[in-house]
Amino acid sequence: MNGFAEVGVALRGSGRDSIKGAKRGADMANLNGRARQKNTYDAIVVGSGITGGWAAKELTQKGLKTLVLERGPMVRHLEDYPTATMDPWQTKYPRGQLPPDELNAHYPVQKRTGYTLTEYTRHFFVRDDQNPYTEESRYDWIRGYHVGGRSLTWGRQSYRHSPIDFEANAREGIGVDWPIRYEDLAPWYDHVERFIGVSGQAEGLPQLPDGQYQPPMEMNCVEKAFKAKSEARFPERRITMGRTAHLTDPTEEQLALGRTKCQYRNMCIRGCPFGGYYSSNSGGLVAAERTGNLVIRPGSIVTSLIYDEKAGKATGVRILDATTRQEEEFYADVVFLCASAFNSAWIMMNSTSSRFPNGFGNGSDQLGRNVMDHHLGVGASGEAPEFADMYYSGRRPNGIYVPRFRNLGDAATKRDDYLRGFGYQGGASRPGWDRDLTRPDRETSAPRGFGAARKAALSQPGPWVMGLGGFGEILPYEDNRITLNRDKTDEFGLPTLTMNVTIRENELAMRRDMQTAAAEMLEAAGFRNVRGYDGGYAPGLGIHEMGTARMGRDPKTSVLNAHNQVHECKNVYVTDGAAMTSASCVNPSLTYMALTARAADHAVQARKRGDL
Amino acid sequence: MLLSRRDAIRGLTFTFGVAATGFAGRALAAAPALAWTPTALTPDQARLVDVVAELIIPKTDTPGARDAGVPQFVDRALADYYNKAQADRLRAGLARMDADARAAHGDVFVTLTPKQQTELLNGYDREASAMQGQASDDDHFFPLLEDLVTVGYFTSEPGATVALRYDPVPGAYHGCVPLAELGRGWATR
Ligand SMILES: Cc1cc2nc3c(=O)[nH]c(=O)nc-3n(C[C@H](O)[C@H](O)[C@H](O)COP(=O)(O)OP(=O)(O)OC[C@H]3O[C@@H](n4cnc5c(N)ncnc54)[C@H](O)[C@@H]3O)c2cc1C
Ligand code: SF4
Repeated sequence: MNGFAEVGVALRGSGRDSIKGAKRGADMANLNGRARQKNTYDAIVVGSGITGGWAAKELTQKGLKTLVLERGPMVRHLEDYPTATMDPWQTKYPRGQLPPDELNAHYPVQKRTGYTLTEYTRHFFVRDDQNPYTEESRYDWIRGYHVGGRSLTWGRQSYRHSPIDFEANAREGIGVDWPIRYEDLAPWYDHVERFIGVSGQAEGLPQLPDGQYQPPMEMNCVEKAFKAKSEARFPERRITMGRTAHLTDPTEEQLALGRTKCQYRNMCIRGCPFGGYYSSNSGGLVAAERTGNLVIRPGSIVTSLIYDEKAGKATGVRILDATTRQEEEFYADVVFLCASAFNSAWIMMNSTSSRFPNGFGNGSDQLGRNVMDHHLGVGASGEAPEFADMYYSGRRPNGIYVPRFRNLGDAATKRDDYLRGFGYQGGASRPGWDRDLTRPDRETSAPRGFGAARKAALSQPGPWVMGLGGFGEILPYEDNRITLNRDKTDEFGLPTLTMNVTIRENELAMRRDMQTAAAEMLEAAGFRNVRGYDGGYAPGLGIHEMGTARMGRDPKTSVLNAHNQVHECKNVYVTDGAAMTSASCVNPSLTYMALTARAADHAVQARKRGDL
Repeated sequence: MLLSRRDAIRGLTFTFGVAATGFAGRALAAAPALAWTPTALTPDQARLVDVVAELIIPKTDTPGARDAGVPQFVDRALADYYNKAQADRLRAGLARMDADARAAHGDVFVTLTPKQQTELLNGYDREASAMQGQASDDDHFFPLLEDLVTVGYFTSEPGATVALRYDPVPGAYHGCVPLAELGRGWATR
């Protein structure tokens, strides 16, 4: 398998000409045998984000020549973080915020989070005008198309699903049962945490299993006091340090990859010059590249799977080259779809054949259904009663976490008004100089004043504020779905998605509790001016879309089996959020990574056995 | 009174050497000559912004708005950042300040005494806060201008590193540090 390097791009150093090889391939209208061989690998991974990076790492380390197809441009660790070390005074726009006209014209969806899209991060998010979809109901699809995907911009909170998460659907008769249990995934959680590096505190809670942790980050005075006082009143509501994919005590393996200890800059979303947090670009893809088995081809939009009716399996994928707009085919024994939940489903829906008239592996009609996310934007905040003379130094890229404390299976935690539960993410801080800027929620209508007194006041930190924001589980509803719209196409002439997703009674009832319980905790801890809030939630705002090709035991009611193989086509694995059978209330990416590593191991073994 | 002061100031313009730039007949009071060329603001507006910015964030034991380049920052925001509605509101606000100054004291804002200028700004601040929380909240120019000046100042190098503390690479997090040891607020979070 010589000569493939020319198609690929080294992650570091030279080799920026990825497209050269692509053009050459595209020129051959009729693929002859040699060309076909040239485009043949052991494995193809679609997408290079959190899950694609993991698939690439595991497959290449286990000896498979692997081609990673990524629709967006190359982003090399360190080299391609253009804003990573910019100082506040180096921005073009005030506070690095993009002009309102530009946001409205190009980013009507990406701007909806209110915090992710800035002059510092614009290159890591899609332009909505170039990536259209239809909102039958509002859906905030926040995404980035480039090497590394959202592993560059994620919030890095990393929690395990618990045994009750894997059992809940079966116990309550919701959706379908997970075909795996916690024990199946536990060793893969270990494996993932050891590689990416997760800082956190072990707590011994059954509803939030502990993992392989580097030392936790530090709580500040107000958080420590809040923990002591709230836990005294509500012992079942444990308050712990956020578990986050940052290095606080890097391992030899991590150092060897060129990653170092987190420097507490909290500018992670721009890309980290220290490799302090985990991304595909600083982690999985680097490890994969070092095996010599990796070829990565940016600018490759995978449009469909190629299905061989006779062999009864997929032989590869079709791409559209984003630059030349030529089609090309790539072949492999095994294909991993890691394009993110909606995009993997999109590829499958767009892969029709006489065997799969309704979308690839979609005999169950579950493809595109059961969309889940985490609902958020609800909680409480209050002012700390003490510590006016205390402050902190460093910018901790992390907060505190309150693991789920409702519906844990016992009578004491049982709720009659809703199923499942939520966790809180939060923290205490002292607002900075920008605290009196005009905002709709500005609390006082007293004149702000101007001049020396105001300047002096703003040069000091504001009063301590503590906030708790809920992340709630959303149940899988069959009619919460995305569908393929062949009538509306994008700039490449490709079909687009239509979204139809809403939250229901269960989530709304949970939100009321999320608000009340947060306020109770702050009040119990003696905070002042405690205010509950529900700022509303639109599906997608959790940026945890999942469920569109769920795992299950029965091919009639699910798309994937217990190893993330498409029931109806065993050499295609889907290991991103599409696979999720239920959502839990914890941030999902750690689970996606563990599922991916486990599936890659399965694929390598199955291929060896000749089972694919 | 007014006349004689205006005359005195007219005389001053020559000492600043800017009479030829179209300001003849206008006054410059406390505003020194602009050391930069505005792009979105007219020279008159730039001079006004220069004076108002320094009133909002004056030089104290730390640099003021003028030393921090805030007037240029406002000019850039107007050129690159604001949409038309915001730009119009700001420009209308600047026009109103001069109109109010003329009505009350017979000349443009920059020629007034600091006390007169402060009084006018106090009036705008009260008006704007009375509107706070109402639907028309956004419509007052003063918060818009004050926000912009505040952002421009505290994100400038002098604002962030002298008036506040700035540490690009903290290296560690310490959760409980006496404020007295740090002395000032952090520039970034
Ligand atoms: C601001 C923000 C904060 C977040 N915080 C957290 C958090 O704290 N914890 C957590 O667990 N999760 C968090 N997430 C979510 C997390 O980023 C995602 O769960 C994760 O990135 C999903 O991984 P993925 O591999 O499925 O998709 P992605 O990382 O999105 O990668 C998908 C890749 O596939 C490529 N692709 C798509 N379609 C095609 C195609 N047709 N052909 C070829 N390539 C294609 C894309 O360009 C992209 O590079 C956050 C996300 C954001 C944006
Ligand atoms: S906080 Fe840590 S991970 Fe984030 S950018 Fe800084 S050093 Fe990197």
